[in-house]
Amino acid sequence: MLQTILLVGLGGSVLTYLGAKLWPRLREVLAVGFSVAQLVLVILGYGHWVHREYFGSFLGLGLGLRLDALSWFFALCVTLVGALCVIFSVPYFGRKQRPDFYYFAILLVNAAMLGIVLSADLLCFFIFWEIMSWTAYLLISYKRGRALQAGLKYIVMSLIGSCSMLLGLLSVYAAWATFDIAQVASGIASASPMFLLYLLITFGIGFGIKSALVPLHTWLADAHSEAPSPFSAVLSGILIKMGVFGFILLFYVVAGLKLFVGLGSGIISFHYVLCWLAAVSIVVPTFIAVLQTDAKRLLAWSSIGQIGYIVLGLGFGTKLAFAGALLHTFNHAAFKALLFLAIAAVEYRTGGIRDLSRLGGLAKRMPVTFACALIGGLGLIGVPLTSGFVSKWLLYKTLIARQYPFLALAALIGTWGAILYVYKLIHNVFLGQLPARYEQVRSAPGAMKLAVVVLASVIIFFGVFPGLILRLLGSIGESVGFGPLEATLGGFGPEVGPLNTISILFACVVAMLLLVLILRAGARSRVVSQRDSYAAGAFVPEDSYHHSVRFYDPFERMVAGYLKDRIDQFYYGVAAQAQRVFDILRRIYTGDAGSYAIYIVSFLGFLILCKLVWPVW
Amino acid sequence: MVSPILLIVVPLGLAFVLPLFRFISTKIGRYIPAIAMLFNLIVSLDCLPRALRAPIVVRTGQWAPPFSIHLVAGPLGLGMAALIALVGFLVSVYGIVYIRESARDRYDVLYILLLTGATGIVLTGDIFNLYVFFEILCVSSYALVAFRGDRPGVEAAAKYLIQGAVGSALALVGIGMLYGLFGTLSMADIAQNITSCEPTTVFVALALLITGFGVEGALFPLNGWLPDAHSSAPSTISAILSGIAIQVGVFAVAKIVLLVFGAKTILFLLVVLGLITLLVGEMSAFAQENIKRMLAYSSIGQVGLILFAVSIASPGAVSGGLFLIVSHALAKALLFICAGYMIYRTGSTSILSMNGIAKRMPLTSLCFSVGALSLVGLPPFVGFPSKFMIIRAALQQPQSIFTVLMGIALLGTVVEGAYFLRVIQGIYFRPAANPQNSQATARNEAPWPALVPIVILAAIIVIVGLYPQLVGKLVTVASSELLDRSSFIRAVMGG
Repeated sequence: MLQTILLVGLGGSVLTYLGAKLWPRLREVLAVGFSVAQLVLVILGYGHWVHREYFGSFLGLGLGLRLDALSWFFALCVTLVGALCVIFSVPYFGRKQRPDFYYFAILLVNAAMLGIVLSADLLCFFIFWEIMSWTAYLLISYKRGRALQAGLKYIVMSLIGSCSMLLGLLSVYAAWATFDIAQVASGIASASPMFLLYLLITFGIGFGIKSALVPLHTWLADAHSEAPSPFSAVLSGILIKMGVFGFILLFYVVAGLKLFVGLGSGIISFHYVLCWLAAVSIVVPTFIAVLQTDAKRLLAWSSIGQIGYIVLGLGFGTKLAFAGALLHTFNHAAFKALLFLAIAAVEYRTGGIRDLSRLGGLAKRMPVTFACALIGGLGLIGVPLTSGFVSKWLLYKTLIARQYPFLALAALIGTWGAILYVYKLIHNVFLGQLPARYEQVRSAPGAMKLAVVVLASVIIFFGVFPGLILRLLGSIGESVGFGPLEATLGGFGPEVGPLNTISILFACVVAMLLLVLILRAGARSRVVSQRDSYAAGAFVPEDSYHHSVRFYDPFERMVAGYLKDRIDQFYYGVAAQAQRVFDILRRIYTGDAGSYAIYIVSFLGFLILCKLVWPVW
Repeated sequence: MVSPILLIVVPLGLAFVLPLFRFISTKIGRYIPAIAMLFNLIVSLDCLPRALRAPIVVRTGQWAPPFSIHLVAGPLGLGMAALIALVGFLVSVYGIVYIRESARDRYDVLYILLLTGATGIVLTGDIFNLYVFFEILCVSSYALVAFRGDRPGVEAAAKYLIQGAVGSALALVGIGMLYGLFGTLSMADIAQNITSCEPTTVFVALALLITGFGVEGALFPLNGWLPDAHSSAPSTISAILSGIAIQVGVFAVAKIVLLVFGAKTILFLLVVLGLITLLVGEMSAFAQENIKRMLAYSSIGQVGLILFAVSIASPGAVSGGLFLIVSHALAKALLFICAGYMIYRTGSTSILSMNGIAKRMPLTSLCFSVGALSLVGLPPFVGFPSKFMIIRAALQQPQSIFTVLMGIALLGTVVEGAYFLRVIQGIYFRPAANPQNSQATARNEAPWPALVPIVILAAIIVIVGLYPQLVGKLVTVASSELLDRSSFIRAVMGG
């Protein structure tokens, strides 16, 4: 069954490409059809857990697939966001651009990600991981121009990550002669702590680069903002989550809870260091996001910050933190994809504008997109009745209850920053004055609306009924060795700390009704034009009344100096130095036959000299 | 019963008869290389099942070894011969339309001789015979590098000739020393008599042979000729030089070190040497502006990795190295022949001029990308299983120094990935240099006789990448042949 799902994805990408070449009208039908079919198959697979299903062999090593609650959860995220982004792409690209290659690549990326989460062994995992990496590279470069530089940065970092992973992977094989995740997990119990640390670091570099954990995050902002917008949603919504999945696999399934938490002691234990890296990942990128003026860059930096929450939860390693991290993974996939898609819809209708100081007032022109983006933004902040609230609540609760005030403070600062940048984003795009050039902007096309509405309703639905997903997360937690998670439909039981979102919902509805009644009963308000205002004794000229330029200016002046991405500069410096070294090395090849002949003779001399005076071997 | 000696005799005969075909028709000659190589491919594949049971030892002149020149066609030699014939066949089909110069006959004769030399090197069991085939290979490649007759070609060929001659002379001295020491030229007989490399005379002979054959095998620092020669030769010849010739050189070095001398003590030095070759090659390739120079330097890097793997001398590492010979031969030949028509269409060898060429030559560009991704070692292409086997074997070594060395070698892979993927990006996503010129944007694919071998090579890369077992078994058997000296001696000498 799992083979069928994968085959639908992998075969679908090739068939879509070929079909599009034969008959261009088929392109969208096939792309949407295959990705929706994949989603349906994954949903139907719920509960039909598969321990191990061989589907091929590689140099005599079996490749297997597996389905359990953890992989089903990630598979759902991948296929849901993937399918919606493909649907969204249909109007986004239109028919004129002939995006055959785009659909081929995006379906292949989705299938590869599905392969990653369904793998039963590390080899299969790695093969799909690499396919995902290079396909994503082609997609990031798709828009040409500045995207080329972003793509190159991405792939170089990605290659470093996968080489590091390959070292870890094959060290695992050298130690236990198996790639099977379950067998490795049983073998690792006898590993020495140094070897375990080596594995955690080599794999961790690979996963950290993909999930953009500080200090390995530098590719993300460029890649997310320069990629084609529907793919940015995939990239931010699910592709970086593959790093998170890798972390979960590594920490909880392979190493196991005990070994992972027990590595090192006190402040210098591995998981505590990871928590602090995550805290830095939350705080610094959040503030950088506040300063951005490009909508997609803002969202990209926000993704790094939100990944920080997830890694914080994973690194912390308690039942509630783990559930919170998983739920936040799901939430982030939903609301970040939603926000990227909403921005993409705006970009599509305004002719490619995503500069926050040139947009504004689009709420009236694109009401559905606005409403959904607002829900996404609220989810990102973690306002009650959105699913983001539940996951953040779990994380705060753990940090405070376990008495880690500084980590809790970092998480809170991240949320305050999120309020700032979400407000900036929503305001500068949708609220305020509508510039004259956007008077004629029409509402987003139907397929785009469909994608954002589905994502928004997911956020609200699981915000009101978090229990549905928490039960699944609880069973995942139990499978990696945590105690059972007591969840009710609307939150948790008293054992964890009472939370009932359904009561909150009722309270909110009652409050809204009361508000409406009071407003109706009170004095009638007078609706005035937006320009009917008075500013410091002078009329405001029509075009300059626009607050969205230099948003948060005082704040920016205060913090901008501290927020230069020095890590990025450092990497660029290393790259420049490396190129200089390469150039010096290249001069070995002088192009002069005489010197080459001397090389040959001196090599012979070196060999004999070694033998006679300096037996190195 | 087909004798493996036909693999050498028939192409050699065809090469010398080829000029006579002109009296029948001027057009027939250009098909001869393809026919010869197809014949070789069929014969080597036909002999392979027999050789898998026991190496076929072919005697000449009815003399039993060690007194005659003999061929040892084991799975190792026949596998290499099949690879040479396969790549040689596809490239010669491509060459039918690609080579337009008037001196067609000379090209065809030299082309067959080059590949015959390579086949002889991998099959021969006699060390002087090895030298003779090496000279056949080298001399024909000197001439082919200068085939175009333009200034860079002739200059590169002259440099190549000088260095090649120095190398050959050293190898010849080494062979002379061996003959003086043991009174025999049969590899198996020498191997039987060498019990240790410790005596200085034996070691000097080994050093001379490594240096001499290392020149053709492009080991650092003996590879100064390579970037010039590979980049100024016609693309078909670059494909053969990079895909076949230098790997045959490394193969000869490995055979001498492992099989003939059994020199365990020098292996670690060769591992380090391979690593240095890899890093220097990849780093020099990084900043190249000329596509063929870039590919040539990348070949140095790959050869370094092959030497690195083979010198680890564990069964897994040697099979990984042999697998890399296969995957590099396929990928590099593909890249060079794709680049050949890209250069024809743009009229320039600069990487920048290839920007946006995917619009004009979509299929060629696709195949080029397949080759490049395979060379970087990304799944699902054939480069991945070969690199995978090498890394696996290196990490399985008990000494942890190999883990460190492998980590350094992987840095070379990152550099390689950076420059190859940059080229792919340029091909697909960078705008063409002069988009106004309508001729520069019109679709203009390579002609179909050239396109067919390109597509076949790309297809082989993908298929073997998906099912690496197709080659995996053969290289495992071949590696045991390379490592097991005693059974090699027994097979040749009898008893």
